[in-house]
Amino acid sequence: MTATTVTSVGETREPLRPARIGQAIMFVGLFTYFTLPMVAVFLYSIATRWTANILPDGYTLDWWVSAFTDQAVIGAFGSTLVLATLTAVLDIAVVVPAAYWSRVRNPRIRTIVELSAAIPFALPYLVIGFGLLQFSGIVAPALQGTFPLLVVGHAAIAFPFLYWAVDGAMAAAGIERLSEAAEACGGSPAQIVRRVVLPNIKPGVVTGGLLAFATSFGEFAMVQTIARGVYTVPIWSAEAIRSYSGESGAFNRLAAVTMVNFIVLFALSAAVVYFNRGQTVRLLPGARNIEQREQG
Amino acid sequence: MNATSPTVTPALEAGVRSGIGARVRQWLGAWLPALPLLALVSVALIGPGVVLVAQTFVDANGLTLDLWGRVLGQPVNQDAIVTSLALGICSATLTLVVGAPSAWLISRMLAGRRAFWLGLLNVAANFGGIGLAFAYLATLGSVGMLTLILQAIGLPFVPPRSSSFLALLMAYEYTNIPLFVLLTIPAMGIVRDDWWEAAQTASATRWQFWQRIGLPILSPFLVAGWLLIFTWSIGIYGIAYGLAGQSGGTAVHLITLQIGTALQSDILLGPARAAILAVVLMVIASASLITYRILLRRALRWF
Repeated sequence: MTATTVTSVGETREPLRPARIGQAIMFVGLFTYFTLPMVAVFLYSIATRWTANILPDGYTLDWWVSAFTDQAVIGAFGSTLVLATLTAVLDIAVVVPAAYWSRVRNPRIRTIVELSAAIPFALPYLVIGFGLLQFSGIVAPALQGTFPLLVVGHAAIAFPFLYWAVDGAMAAAGIERLSEAAEACGGSPAQIVRRVVLPNIKPGVVTGGLLAFATSFGEFAMVQTIARGVYTVPIWSAEAIRSYSGESGAFNRLAAVTMVNFIVLFALSAAVVYFNRGQTVRLLPGARNIEQREQG
Repeated sequence: MNATSPTVTPALEAGVRSGIGARVRQWLGAWLPALPLLALVSVALIGPGVVLVAQTFVDANGLTLDLWGRVLGQPVNQDAIVTSLALGICSATLTLVVGAPSAWLISRMLAGRRAFWLGLLNVAANFGGIGLAFAYLATLGSVGMLTLILQAIGLPFVPPRSSSFLALLMAYEYTNIPLFVLLTIPAMGIVRDDWWEAAQTASATRWQFWQRIGLPILSPFLVAGWLLIFTWSIGIYGIAYGLAGQSGGTAVHLITLQIGTALQSDILLGPARAAILAVVLMVIASASLITYRILLRRALRWF
């Protein structure tokens, strides 16, 4: 990507860009489209009453206070955080060893893992969740509807993000040579992993962990299908939307919760960009190849 | 991390010690660290898929195609399949029309502006599900911000019903366009600026350049992006559930919403109906993703 972004300076020829006015209109339109909903949610969360005018009639922090002193909301954020954290931890624990071993010992692991990583990309989470519900009903009925089953489900749909991030970090660090060198120096496998591999792939693990966390944090379909009893933020919001019938404050409290939810996701994506050193997160399976070939 | 000493290769070990114990150790040496991940994948992705497909062919009397006939014979399910496909196609096409020029322009921006747009797109791409459904209502609902603004300046504006096809399309685009742009920006680097200079030297117009050089080069990537957005759009549940919420029965019929309803109101066909609709989604999504992979492999062959 870097090689091509350098545009030729000082050329008399026309650069390859369409008319500036059309361009400006399109980007202003896109900017409005992306920011207006965020502004609307924010204003609703601090509006006293807002039913007729361009801007709210007055401003207040009451909705924030009443939303975040509500036991149901606090509980929902609590269980969402625990769920997302456990998902990220479980993913790191199972993905890092597999990715490492596929690079240093057994390349066949990569073939299987990359095929599996395509599943959560193709299949809707609703379908995976429903399948997991039916499967657990046959294999382990005791687990049906439980929190641990939900963690397993979320870990399964989030693992590709972590795998690609970790695998990319291993490629960038040249982990094969590093671990060979460490072996030649007489390091034990545990020592190599702890003192050579992990420090070198830390940005990848952090990025991937954040992506897994974010995937779980906003996920709705699977929580609703697998675990009826688990009350996360998306479930709370969905119920609030469904039961809304014009009563004052309900819409505003929903706005405050949505705002916090949004701030968390914003912080996560900012952290991902930071740890990823300004590169875009490449979700496209196969996009990595484009980049590699381009540089080569 | 592993029982096998790293300085002894599995092959050497097998040569030195034969027998079943050594075989097992060799196998473990090759696979042990990957086993937890493979177990997770088989339990939570492969097993469920197999069970779903199997369930649609089995009822109390054994193997049957009867369930498929009954579910696909219901007009509401036919309507759901057609609407889901239409929504996927419209959504992906609109994304392509807006996203492709945006991706091209952003890829040619100076570093600072590009970082700003990538940041904004990253944020929007992450803002999906129920939160986005609410944000849509706060913007274009009956007392949404944009609705109020347009009415305040005197326009007789009536927003589309939140559970209508158009409303879903607008809400879907909010995450689809950023995803498409982020996914196709790397491919935009393939078109070199010198090619345009060369084309100009041969006195080609901008239109001729795109028609003969730019689009033929980029089209496999753009089509691949279209397929990916199509696949994801037909599987969206959270946004649709949130937007369909307030109008209950009058909501547009979608495969995902039908699955959700079938699961929650366990009447008549219940899980079997949900399973068949889930398998329909699986088939559409798999076909789309396989086409995508083939396309991408072809596209990459030339580079």
